[in-house]
Amino acid sequence: MKLRDLLHFSLRTITSYPARSFLIMLAMALGVAAVIILTALGDGARQYVVNEFSSIGTNLIIVLPGRAETAGSFPGAVMGQTPRDLTLEDAHWVGRLPQVRRYAPLNVGVAELSATGKLREVTLMGTTAEIFPIRHMKLAQGRFLSHSGENSAQIVLGAKIAQEFFPDGNALGQRVRLGDRRFLVTGIMAVQGESMGFNSDELVIIPIQHAQTLLNTTSLFRLLIETRHHNEIENAKEAIHQALIRRHDGEDDVTVIAHDAVLATFDRILRALTLGVAGIAVISLAVAGILVMNVMLVSVSQRTAEIGLLKAIGTPASAIRHIFLAEAVWLSVTGAFAGFVLGQAGSWLLRLAYPLLPAWPPLWANFAGIAVAVLAGVLAGLLPAIRAAKLDPVMALSKR
Amino acid sequence: MSFLDALRFALRALTAHRMRTFLSASGIAIGIAAVILLTSIGSGIQHFVLSEFTQFGTNILNITPGKIRTRGASTGSIGSVRLLTIEDSLALKSSRHAIYTNATVTGNAEVRGGGRSRRVTVYGQGPDFDRAFNMHTAIGQFLPADDPRNPRAFAVLGAKVHKELFGDANPLGSVLQVGGSRFRIIGVMASKGQVLGFDLDDTVYIPTARALEIFNREGVMEVQVVYPPTTPLDEVMEDIKRIMVERHGREDFTITPQQQMLSTLSTVLDVLTFAVAVLGGISLLVGAVGMITLMHITVNERMAEIGLLNALGATPMRIRILFLLESTALSTLGGMIGLMTGSGIAGLLSVLFSDLPVNIPWRYVLAALILSGVIGLGAGVVPAMRAARLNPVDALRAE
Repeated sequence: MKLRDLLHFSLRTITSYPARSFLIMLAMALGVAAVIILTALGDGARQYVVNEFSSIGTNLIIVLPGRAETAGSFPGAVMGQTPRDLTLEDAHWVGRLPQVRRYAPLNVGVAELSATGKLREVTLMGTTAEIFPIRHMKLAQGRFLSHSGENSAQIVLGAKIAQEFFPDGNALGQRVRLGDRRFLVTGIMAVQGESMGFNSDELVIIPIQHAQTLLNTTSLFRLLIETRHHNEIENAKEAIHQALIRRHDGEDDVTVIAHDAVLATFDRILRALTLGVAGIAVISLAVAGILVMNVMLVSVSQRTAEIGLLKAIGTPASAIRHIFLAEAVWLSVTGAFAGFVLGQAGSWLLRLAYPLLPAWPPLWANFAGIAVAVLAGVLAGLLPAIRAAKLDPVMALSKR
Repeated sequence: MSFLDALRFALRALTAHRMRTFLSASGIAIGIAAVILLTSIGSGIQHFVLSEFTQFGTNILNITPGKIRTRGASTGSIGSVRLLTIEDSLALKSSRHAIYTNATVTGNAEVRGGGRSRRVTVYGQGPDFDRAFNMHTAIGQFLPADDPRNPRAFAVLGAKVHKELFGDANPLGSVLQVGGSRFRIIGVMASKGQVLGFDLDDTVYIPTARALEIFNREGVMEVQVVYPPTTPLDEVMEDIKRIMVERHGREDFTITPQQQMLSTLSTVLDVLTFAVAVLGGISLLVGAVGMITLMHITVNERMAEIGLLNALGATPMRIRILFLLESTALSTLGGMIGLMTGSGIAGLLSVLFSDLPVNIPWRYVLAALILSGVIGLGAGVVPAMRAARLNPVDALRAE
């Protein structure tokens, strides 16, 4: 029997039971579509987090005061309270290292902003002008600490804050009161929206010295450093750490984190999660495989007479095996393809519903989904095919 | 035909095709097992996280400096121009609902003692901290009730700090240097282990006022108020707010009840458990399609039998019931197998990996079982209707 004939023969068998074949394909398609949509969801989430992280900055190293003996997070570092401060001088010192492209010291706190008779509590960030290129932030209008001195009382308002206080839009050049000090509005940030749970539209930025006086602290909350090259991060991390230990009389009391390391961890976790979810979806393909086996077995027992006739006219056992296997292949390939289309449509709908989420199914998931489906179908067809091939022609023809 | 007869008839139809019955039941079983296993892990994690949170009690209010208007955490703990002070905490004690109040500062510092040094988390706490949070000392006592504004320089060690600095020796009475100040050790806390990634044993507790000195701060990070569990939360919040506004002149603080956090967390975890249940449900759906396929085939095969039943005077209703019984029995059988496999594996997991929290959620188990029955019923409906509608003469001639 030629391959063409074989495929033609088995296809005719399938189309002669339309309802049954449709149901099997539906089951296969559901499984494949589940794999594709779920991996699209998982991979989309991963892409989203990675994008969010890179939007915060690239080649970034973060220094925070305090260090824990045990691994893992520690509340002291989150709050940034230590007996020995990470000072502005430390930051300038680190800034002179050859690996450092630019750096921005950071102090964060809450203060009351009042202007034009309105008052509200805002999150303030004390830093230098370098923060904008490092954090990839943009000013919509004006500037921050560019030509005047480092110490001038300038303030940059977040987009939402500016809108709230100066709805008519002419915030630049106005004076506002933050805590007990007066600042000149020199810039307004571009709308950025929320990123990693941090809304920069409701932020105000002031020079670091003013922030430290306002918050009555001498310690930095964080020190952000951008290295010159991507491949220098490890090297720079070590150099910064050593420099700070030397400045702190040999005491190792800072934590230096490469931003990429954090990103890599998230990337790994989300990849594992996607794989796990795909694995759960693959269970449904196993169930679909069982269904194929079941129906093929039924079909073998129903077609006993036909098989007996085939054998009687001299069809070899291998050809009969092939006929049944071809049937299983037809069912699973068509089902898998339908599932592929269904899955792509599903992830397209996901992208439509959540434009922020880049829910593209990863290439490997498409292939793996289809491959597993076909494999499950063929494996499931194996037992019925062998059983059919083993039938005794006389017994089969007499339908005993 | 009595119901019992009908049931026996359906069961005989199932046992006549053992392989077929086994395969379609196992389709359902895999689905049910997946649902139960996944929800067991999901619900186990939920229980674990919630118990981590509630071990300190649920009737606690946290007050942090700074008012937040938008959602998200207040950054007021890190630094604020509007301070929350120890005096605030003392004033809150006058509230008729406050059992304990406690002002907290957290930081990271090098501690030296017993000739060794270590970097640990330093908590500045009030004398009521151990009672408010249900913590116990292993040796000695917790910080005494000194004047909170000028307490004596005593320190209480976490279990791990004790072990690392002093080994098995008794540290009571020794001197502990925290930052630049010296403290006398008066107690060691009982081991509490890790709570949500924070090692509570790698800590040193000192009086809040002393911690403020060490960290060179004026305001505390958080004030906790413990209220009687019987008092309604709204009343407590009202009272706390009144006292604080009286002191500060306006609302420049944020009150977060623990209960509110818990219910949010609980909702999130509930949704997660449901989501994994749905993931497992995909297999169940595929299994259901398998059931429909099989019932469809069965009706086709047994045309002659149906015709005979019809000719003998079985009503269409009776035939419908026969087929529905058959499919329901099949799927329930699958459901039972899945139930046993799923909970068996879940139980095995909890024995093998004692770290993995596994908790079999009985409402999901029940739901899964009912669902498997419903699947059988649903899968049987169309084929049963078809069987009942058959004309006896045509059906008998089918063979």
